[in-house]
Amino acid sequence: MPDTSSVKTGLPIQVVLEKSIGLAFPFIVAIVVSGIVLLIIGENPLDIYSLMLQEALGSGSRIAATLSAATPLLFTAVATSICFRSGVFNVGVDGAFVISGLAAATIGYGLPESVGFLILPVATLGAVVVGMSWLYVPGYLLARLQVDEVVSTLMLNFVAAGLSGFLVNAVFLSEKSGNNTTDTIPKIAEFNRLMPPSTLHSGFIIGLICLLVYAIWANRTPIGFEAKLVGLNQRFALATGISVPTTIIIVMVLSGLVSGLGGASHALGQLYKFSDGFSAGYGFTGMAVALLARNSAIGILLGAILFGALASAGTTIQLFSEIPLDLVNIIEGTVMIFAVVELGKITILRRRTST
Amino acid sequence: MPALNTQNDIQLSTRLGARAVYKYYGEVASNRGISFDARLGEIHAIVGENGAGKSTLMRILQGLEKPDQGSVVVDDKDVSFNRPQQALNLGIGMVHQEFMLAPELTLLENLVLGDEPVLRAWGPFSVIDWDEARRSGDALAKDTGVPIDWDSLSETASVHIQQLVEIIRLLRRGANILILDEPTAVLAPPQVEDLFALLRKLRDKGTTIIFISHKIKEVIALADRVTVLRRGEDTFTAEIKDVDVATIAHHIVGGIAEDTTSQSINLASKDAKLTEQNCLRLENVCAISSTAKSRALQNIGFSIRKGEIVGIAGVAGNGQDELIECLVGLHRVQSGRIILDDVDITHKSNAERRASGIGFISPDRANEGLAKLASVEENVIAGSHRDPTALIGPFRKLSYTKQMATKRLDALGVIYGDLTDPVSSLSGGNQQRLVFAREISGVPKLLLVAQPTRGVDLNGITAIHKTLRAYRAGGGSVLLLSEELDELLALSDRILVIVDGRIVGERDGTKANITEIGALMVMQGEVHA
Repeated sequence: MPDTSSVKTGLPIQVVLEKSIGLAFPFIVAIVVSGIVLLIIGENPLDIYSLMLQEALGSGSRIAATLSAATPLLFTAVATSICFRSGVFNVGVDGAFVISGLAAATIGYGLPESVGFLILPVATLGAVVVGMSWLYVPGYLLARLQVDEVVSTLMLNFVAAGLSGFLVNAVFLSEKSGNNTTDTIPKIAEFNRLMPPSTLHSGFIIGLICLLVYAIWANRTPIGFEAKLVGLNQRFALATGISVPTTIIIVMVLSGLVSGLGGASHALGQLYKFSDGFSAGYGFTGMAVALLARNSAIGILLGAILFGALASAGTTIQLFSEIPLDLVNIIEGTVMIFAVVELGKITILRRRTST
Repeated sequence: MPALNTQNDIQLSTRLGARAVYKYYGEVASNRGISFDARLGEIHAIVGENGAGKSTLMRILQGLEKPDQGSVVVDDKDVSFNRPQQALNLGIGMVHQEFMLAPELTLLENLVLGDEPVLRAWGPFSVIDWDEARRSGDALAKDTGVPIDWDSLSETASVHIQQLVEIIRLLRRGANILILDEPTAVLAPPQVEDLFALLRKLRDKGTTIIFISHKIKEVIALADRVTVLRRGEDTFTAEIKDVDVATIAHHIVGGIAEDTTSQSINLASKDAKLTEQNCLRLENVCAISSTAKSRALQNIGFSIRKGEIVGIAGVAGNGQDELIECLVGLHRVQSGRIILDDVDITHKSNAERRASGIGFISPDRANEGLAKLASVEENVIAGSHRDPTALIGPFRKLSYTKQMATKRLDALGVIYGDLTDPVSSLSGGNQQRLVFAREISGVPKLLLVAQPTRGVDLNGITAIHKTLRAYRAGGGSVLLLSEELDELLALSDRILVIVDGRIVGERDGTKANITEIGALMVMQGEVHA
């Protein structure tokens, strides 16, 4: 495995290649593991895999479906990486994504239609503000009171699920469509579709811009540099005059901002409403992408597309074969485990070098 | 040393040694054919610069690593260890630089940990025989002449007691070859004497001792023979009675450094431009201790003039770390005032203090002075990344920071491969020079320097001392903390001695001597108001 923990200044091609190898290893293991599972249930893994490949990337419309499935992951992976590279183990992106999705949807359908094209930016802004405030809380708790961020953000995910579930059933419940869902937003508030009839929408473009801005932020701004140093060594950062608490709060709020954009993109571009079960674990899949990519922008792009491909293949594959969707979960789970193994190696390395 | 001679006459065979040991880490050879032999009942010193291969050799002798070629020799026979336990079974025990005691267990529990005497051996339901444990500990402790309170927690025990327990623990488990890695680094001079007395006693009873040290004088005082390692090879072995400090120093550095610490004493006032103007003044500074092992600061008051180096001498944990952290803004001052150039900075943040002209060389280079996983460039420009000249609008000017990094590194002659290499790829001396390059670049008024040459080889020490002298000659003020009294005496204009968080004495750096300062360091009585 090449060491890609620091940003290398090589040819972009080389960088892409290095990242791809880093991404590939957990995937190869995952494919072997699910191949064994397929053999046990009496299927030919090669047939299934070629079917999956076709379903993921076989035609223009299938590619669009893959990119559409990758869209929320771009946001959640960037939101996660912002924190992870600063040594803040924020696992609360999913909660922020859900709660800001609810904000976007309610503003989207709640504003009078006469507001017109302004509904979209206002709803997006609302979602961003909600996302930022949501993650400000665990950021503040960590920075000022040393409350463990893994615990607080994990718990906030349950709060987000419970709160949004309650609100969508008790306060914002649609009178037209029944259970667990809000009214749909007006046509004018939608993110436009890029390749109808596929669900690929302009949120994907915003996701790409978000990724680009993240790369610039990380490599070219003083605060991005400070965040990296805080992630590598807090005592060093402190001794060189960097305010560690401020940096922690900033990265948490930025993570909330990106989660909020993601929630808005999903609510206004994909579903056109908020319903219970809004996030299919996007926050956690995004975390897997961030871990695989080791926080690099190129890695995130590749990883999000790979997971998007898995998701889009998985949903159609159960239509055409006996294979349940769970196979995709097995692959995702295995990838996640081995991505974390990589992370484990890095943290062990860190401990060794610090003694 | 009569015991030595008689034993050498009887027994010249190898008790523990190495035969042409090679060890590679990737492409780098850490040991390149090292051979040495320590005899029965001998204190054998192993000296060498950082990176000379000492640590690797010790790991091999202990069974922590296997040599790629060559072998370990025990009692004239080649042996091969797969696990450290096998080395221990042959009687080889190691006292590490950082003690391996469990901090939250008592000393007695630590003594028997892993080899507990039992009343009844019932597998997991065995009952530990604490009386027997205490008896065996007391019996072994008698030799040391130091009373040990077996029931105290090891984290509260003083450092030299912990070291004794570590040694007794190995003896109890049947070790008769002891490897000690820089055992005196943490001790005050009188405690060093106690340790040496114990080691001599053990040697006379037939224990073989391998003594790893940086300090040539200690080697001369204690050892019977010495082996010098340089760049992974054994370059010199001799009886101590046949060599002197200069010879050993010469072999360690390979004849390059002419200005070693031991010879550079009292260049202090020659190039000094002392003025009467104060740079820093402390008034009754009090602060709580930052760890359970160290002391709170009590009414610290002194001043540093412009162009003056003030040294702080003290046994580790007497408040010197708190003092420097209070000055740099990493530790809260409870009461009192810190005044830098007539400005009260007592409650300013670290960043504000840096801006007003304070540089800081951290005692903990690995974890505070540097970010080990970051690159050379990132380490040397950290803290200056927000300088207006380093920015274009909201963005960092990458080409400019690269230039700035190169300039700083070249100014202090730091040897590095590429700016993007991880800083951990540099040698200890170059890492420390990099820290100086960063901290001195803004030409601060005051440089707070702690343990500047810890883990730095002789050439590096010379370069760092030169840097500090040049800085002082330019009118800079320095607060210097060092465990090396030699270093304090060589550099300081004045030396303050700190005991229990109080300044207990002050001496003129050009006139003081080690014995006098060492006595003050362990004396509790003399209080200088």
